[in-house]
Amino acid sequence: MAQQALWIPLLPLMAFVIQVFFGKKLPRQGDFVSVLAIFGSFLLAAPIFFRLVTTGDVSDSLSYTWMSLPVGFKGSGTGHPPVNFEIVIGVLVNNLTAIMLFMVTLCSFLIHLFSTGYMHGEPRYHLFFAYISLFSAAMLGLVISDNLLTFFICWELMGLCSYLLIGFYYDRPSAINASLKAFMTTRVGDVLFFLGITGLFYVFKTSNFTQVYQLVHNEALHELMIIGFPALTFIAFMVMLGTVGKSAQFPLHVWLPDAMEGPTPVSALIHAATMVAAGVFLLIRMYPVLEAGHMLPVVGYVGAITAFLAAMLAIVQNDIKKVLAYSTISQLGYMVMGVGVGAFAAAFLHLVTHACFKACLFLCSGSVIHAVHTQDMREMGGLRSKMPITFLAMFVSTLAISGVPFFSGFVSKDRILAGALGYGMEHSQHMLIPILGFAAAGITAFYMFRLIYMTFFGHARDEHKHHHAHEQPAPMVIPLIILASLSLAIWFAGPTGIESVDQILPVHWYDDAMESVQKSMGIVEEHSEVHHTAHSLAMVFSLVIAGLGIGLSTLMYLKAVFNPATWQKMFMPLYTVLVNLYYFDYLYMKILIQKGLLNFNSMLAAFDDRVVDRIFVDGWGRATLVVRSVVGKFDDIVVDRLMVDGTGYGTATAGWLVRRFQTGQAQQYLALMLIALGLFTLKFVL
Amino acid sequence: MSGLASGLDWLTGLHGYLAVAASLFVLGAVAVISRKNAIGVLLGVELMLNAAGLNFVIFSKYRTAAIDGQIVALFIIFIAAAEAAVALAIILRFYRLKHSMDASEANLLRD
Repeated sequence: MAQQALWIPLLPLMAFVIQVFFGKKLPRQGDFVSVLAIFGSFLLAAPIFFRLVTTGDVSDSLSYTWMSLPVGFKGSGTGHPPVNFEIVIGVLVNNLTAIMLFMVTLCSFLIHLFSTGYMHGEPRYHLFFAYISLFSAAMLGLVISDNLLTFFICWELMGLCSYLLIGFYYDRPSAINASLKAFMTTRVGDVLFFLGITGLFYVFKTSNFTQVYQLVHNEALHELMIIGFPALTFIAFMVMLGTVGKSAQFPLHVWLPDAMEGPTPVSALIHAATMVAAGVFLLIRMYPVLEAGHMLPVVGYVGAITAFLAAMLAIVQNDIKKVLAYSTISQLGYMVMGVGVGAFAAAFLHLVTHACFKACLFLCSGSVIHAVHTQDMREMGGLRSKMPITFLAMFVSTLAISGVPFFSGFVSKDRILAGALGYGMEHSQHMLIPILGFAAAGITAFYMFRLIYMTFFGHARDEHKHHHAHEQPAPMVIPLIILASLSLAIWFAGPTGIESVDQILPVHWYDDAMESVQKSMGIVEEHSEVHHTAHSLAMVFSLVIAGLGIGLSTLMYLKAVFNPATWQKMFMPLYTVLVNLYYFDYLYMKILIQKGLLNFNSMLAAFDDRVVDRIFVDGWGRATLVVRSVVGKFDDIVVDRLMVDGTGYGTATAGWLVRRFQTGQAQQYLALMLIALGLFTLKFVL
Repeated sequence: MSGLASGLDWLTGLHGYLAVAASLFVLGAVAVISRKNAIGVLLGVELMLNAAGLNFVIFSKYRTAAIDGQIVALFIIFIAAAEAAVALAIILRFYRLKHSMDASEANLLRD
């Protein structure tokens, strides 16, 4: 099964390679390659998922030794066998993986299918499919990773893909800026996450999830310190910051709304199945470490604050995609909050339900944008009759995200809120978390219905655009229908209480699956009396609050009982703050980057110029010059003159000397001979 | 007189003849080395040859009963005659070449 799971990311990866090299030459620019590849992945993922649903538990793994690094010798001295530090990578298929694989492949497949219609006729059509194939491959690779190393590799690959896809229309300066912003902002989180992985290796000597789950309860590891912090807290904090970057939590959320510069299917892909879901998935995978590092309340607060603040921002947006972007941030905040308050299963369920309805919402918005050629909701209106299927799909998804009963969002969101309320009731100092959560739920209902009313109801504000709008072709509409049907509660709800129905439907599948996951991760979910009370209370609260939000929205935007403009004047300071996005971008751009980072950069540049260049580089040059002249003198005087020329002169002198005797005059030779004879005789006689 | 005679006693007999031969050799050698004229040089060579021949005769007379030395001396005379003929021929060729008899001009061996 793990072998089979390995092929799930490999198929889209192969599609990516084919598309990059041959896409342009293939018929239809090869879009069918990507679609078929992801459909193949879906066909591989489906049996795993259905086995989970029918048997309640799947578990398999594969591992390979990636590298073996020698780090020393056993015992001391040489001659002992070397000790190797082995980095093992592999595939882990458990219940979480099975659900994620099914959800991601299904959403990705539908988004691929939708793209064949939406992107039709765009330049670089084949590259678009190459990128989204790689994107899906990276996400699927991340899901099946059994260790943080390959997890991080896929994580970064997704960062790259998001950069490429957000900047897909690279002839627009705003798209380039947005892609850079997304890349840079997530980078902040990624670097810190990598620090966390390093810390994890330091503490556990492995990054395999299963091994980490076992080791994390080892008390001895809790004593370790990293730069003055308890090691586990350090790791948990860094992992959380990784999620903050990737899942666009406050304060690193700024990239996600700008990411709307990409084509709409990309937004759907980023917001539903991949990228941002990866961050939450990381939190869920690392839950035992977060717990051991006492980081859960912080995670809870980050999530709750994000959910609330992002929901507030969504109210004032007029761009249909921006509204959805902020709603994504807000919903991700819910999931993070769910993890933080220990409602682990609820958070994961929300991840899945949100993926379905958010993909549907984005594809519907894409369908609308494709029809009216604008993203501004103020230019839409009255599209209900023109695009009935899109309207219906979007309406169902909106009901789901708003938490209306009988839709998927209600099931998962209610469970998160119940968990948060239970947590708040147990730890009354953390009551702020559920309060923010409930407030966000109301606001969500409000702005989502505002979106629906402004887009599909009322009269057409732009007659010309309204006139040309029409329903989209089948490849774009079918995904909407499938995704909308997945937004119904029936797939995710627990037992209905009606025995005959419960026997037919596999209603327990999710809770069964989560139970064994939690057991394998060593998580004990509390089922105290407080939680039961909280559950009933939360259901009532969330129904009332969602009803309030929807009601207010209806009165304002459908019935026009209240004029939004007067409310805008009434809350002018708040409105100003919201329109300026809490001044986060101002803060980052004007203060952090222009005043801080740029100065810091110029300081570094000055250091580089003055110290590195002048002192080290130039100094080295000067030192070389001095050495050069010394060596040159030595070479000139000693080597050249004394030795080379000296040898020459010596030979010449010797030659000159010997040449004196070589007169060619026999008389002189004879004289010398006689002198020599005399000398020999003298020697002989004496 | 007797003093002087007794002082020169060693000149009588063998030593006297040897002294004559040595003087002859030295004279010949000096002539060979210092004469500029090639014929002078040749004359010096002849003197040295004769000094050597004289030595053969002297040692034959005073040291052996045999006449080997005298016979060698005769050979030397013959060889000297032949050598003189060759040498004179060389000198003639040299004069043709250089229009001079100066032995110092015969320096081709230098090259």
